[in-house]
Amino acid sequence: MEKHFLADMMAAEGPSRFRAEPWYNPDGDCIIYKTADEAIVADRIDELLTVYNSAVDNRPIGFQIKGVHAIIRKFGLDGLAVTSQSDAAGVKYISIAALLLAAYEEGEPTLARRRAYAAVMEGPVQRRTISADELQPA
Amino acid sequence: MAADFACKTIDPGNPAGPMTDAIFPGTYTLRLYKNSPVDYENLRAPKYVLEDPKRIFFGVRVFNQGGWCYTGHPAEWCIRERIIVPFSKDRVFAVYVNPNMRVYECRAEYADPQDPACPIQWQQRYRGLTWKSTS
Repeated sequence: MEKHFLADMMAAEGPSRFRAEPWYNPDGDCIIYKTADEAIVADRIDELLTVYNSAVDNRPIGFQIKGVHAIIRKFGLDGLAVTSQSDAAGVKYISIAALLLAAYEEGEPTLARRRAYAAVMEGPVQRRTISADELQPA
Repeated sequence: MAADFACKTIDPGNPAGPMTDAIFPGTYTLRLYKNSPVDYENLRAPKYVLEDPKRIFFGVRVFNQGGWCYTGHPAEWCIRERIIVPFSKDRVFAVYVNPNMRVYECRAEYADPQDPACPIQWQQRYRGLTWKSTS
């Protein structure tokens, strides 16, 4: 395979290692969470949730929550925060499950949506919060 | 900090006009490089799609106005570390860019059986088709 077009740019960035953790993408105002280092095929559930299925065997290996700041505006950070995990500096941690529940409330309560949201919440999530400080818009 | 990478593509605001830049943000590409090696490897696919798109859609997000989705079919992609396979014909590769032409999501989607250059249910998901390849 030919050289990656970003190879020279990344040459000084050190080693690469998969990490299963949620992260906020400010350019898309979305939280992305993948639990396996495999290519995904996206299965859009509704306006706010997309499930990532493995391109290897079609099992769910992650999800994307869109419209994060719209959700925060509606529910408030305090409505989504995990208060027991505020650290000494007062940094709040947002519950991924609370975000998912808030996203679910935005749509029609169909069986397909309920199943998809339940499957995501029951999935092999290794980190269940994200620091509110990370949620800085672009 | 990795720099942004600019890629020439069709201007969705003026498809018949000169090409414009789509930006792969350095923060995004570095995140994939450091933490998601397969996704980093597969950045070849969105670059290919932006350079040779088959469809461009507008109205892709409900809470974020603007933005486009470019779709196309790369020849191959990486599904697991060091495993490269042909890109399936029943899927389409989608590249989402925000109103500032910054790439924020690159992924395979299930293709519309009626038009495999489109993601499934595109008529319900997007507000419309901005541009369509004639080749």
